[in-house]
Amino acid sequence: MHAVRIMWRVTCLNFRAQMEYRSEFLLMIAIGAIWQVSVIVFATVLLTRFTGMGGWDSSDVLLIPATRMLAHGLFVLFLGRMHGLGRHIQEGRIDIYLVRPMPVHRQVQLQYFPTNAIGDLTVAAGLMVGALARSDLDWTAGRITYLIVAILGGLLLEAALFTVVASASLRFPAADYWGIWLEELLGTFGSYPLNVLPRAVGGFLTFGLPLAFVAYFPAAVLTGHDTAVPYWLAAASPLLGVLAYLGSRLLWRWSLRHYAGVNG
Amino acid sequence: MAVLHAWRAARVTPLGELHAPPRMTAVLLRLTVQVVLVASLWRGLYAHTGTTAGLDRGQAVTYAVLAVLASRLRELDQFAGRDTVIQHMHYGTIVYWYLRPLPPQRYYALRALGEQLYGFAWALAGYAVCLAAGVVEPPRSAAVAGVFAVSLLLGQWVLYYIMLLTDQWCFWALRNNAAVMILIFAQNLLSGVYAPLWFFPDWFVTLSVFMPFQATLSVPLSLYIGRIPLSDAAGQLAIQAAWVVVLALFTRFLWRRAARRVISQGG
Repeated sequence: MHAVRIMWRVTCLNFRAQMEYRSEFLLMIAIGAIWQVSVIVFATVLLTRFTGMGGWDSSDVLLIPATRMLAHGLFVLFLGRMHGLGRHIQEGRIDIYLVRPMPVHRQVQLQYFPTNAIGDLTVAAGLMVGALARSDLDWTAGRITYLIVAILGGLLLEAALFTVVASASLRFPAADYWGIWLEELLGTFGSYPLNVLPRAVGGFLTFGLPLAFVAYFPAAVLTGHDTAVPYWLAAASPLLGVLAYLGSRLLWRWSLRHYAGVNG
Repeated sequence: MAVLHAWRAARVTPLGELHAPPRMTAVLLRLTVQVVLVASLWRGLYAHTGTTAGLDRGQAVTYAVLAVLASRLRELDQFAGRDTVIQHMHYGTIVYWYLRPLPPQRYYALRALGEQLYGFAWALAGYAVCLAAGVVEPPRSAAVAGVFAVSLLLGQWVLYYIMLLTDQWCFWALRNNAAVMILIFAQNLLSGVYAPLWFFPDWFVTLSVFMPFQATLSVPLSLYIGRIPLSDAAGQLAIQAAWVVVLALFTRFLWRRAARRVISQGG
């Protein structure tokens, strides 16, 4: 309880710190929003020009970016500071965290308030409302529960991927570059049915980089579309997110134990 | 001697890249995977479609792959070298830019030139591989290739000034993180990185005509794939050149105003 109180107070202070630069604060909210809008624009352009994408109609396709963006917005809000950690490692800030009486991971998450998450979540929630309104599916309690669980699973899976990159950054700070690419891949290829891609490429985005488990498979389960993997595996996407996140945290702890710092 | 100094300034960031093997590996892998993914995506989308928005499958794939390669032209990590304007403003070291015998605007331009030449080497190597592998179509004639080269040069020149503007913004706002992110978004959307502008509604294409972003990428790539015919090339090149002149004058004005805002140790 004491830890939660400290986290809340630090978060409030971080929020006030962000408000210190008013124009930057407002621009960051706008950024979160328009960044997400770019994903919508891209998806809309493709849907308009290429109807029946991969055998999915447009209302079903919309569920994929809506799920992914909501998961991404929540990731940015709660665990997003793992992205871009390499710069802080380069500047030696991790060394400071190591001598404070608070877990390093928690201190990393409390570095600053992610103002852009406000814009991210606003647009993502709007898209989700739009996607649900256009959907012809019968939204039973079971489907709604699965959708919520899938969003949380997507959040954890994205967090796991960025935690792995952050762990690598502890050894090679320049590895942070991979995080930029990861974000780009998630934004570009995580928002529509992956069955439009050749089987090998789809396989890479499923088993090489488990991007398909963030939103594509959960959306396929909800809308009843077949995928390249067995139904049970697609349905277990949220569970995979939990397992991946737990695994990435173990990797983070191991990497932190072996962190040598700038001075060896 | 001036050439030697210019060379030393221009090679700083590329040298930093060459000393960071994980970044080099990442750039190579990222470029390869991104090209494969983008080519696969557009081929998949065109599987049941003939020509749409005036682009056939070959043109769309070529455009998308060249957009990926072109986006690597200036994507280096100055931040690691602590030589970005925002960092200098934060640490107060921006004053040193004004104490050197090299004017800050020239130093900035030389650094950018080095970065863009280094990025161009990557893009050119990627283009050669893609051309040999048949991923992209060759230009339809020598004239198209020549016009494309001129247009690409002008486009990169415009891009340089746009990026300079976001850095100059730091002299007034101290921070430019949001401005840079807005720029990246606008650049990717309005220059056709996400999808060729020809796929967008007419009002969107008209809107983009009045902004400099399409001059950076959409115009050269559209000339390359033949979506803009050679007969219209002169007009497009003139618009690009006009943006170069307008932005050059504006950024020059801002450099002068920025110099008045630089203070050392509290003034």
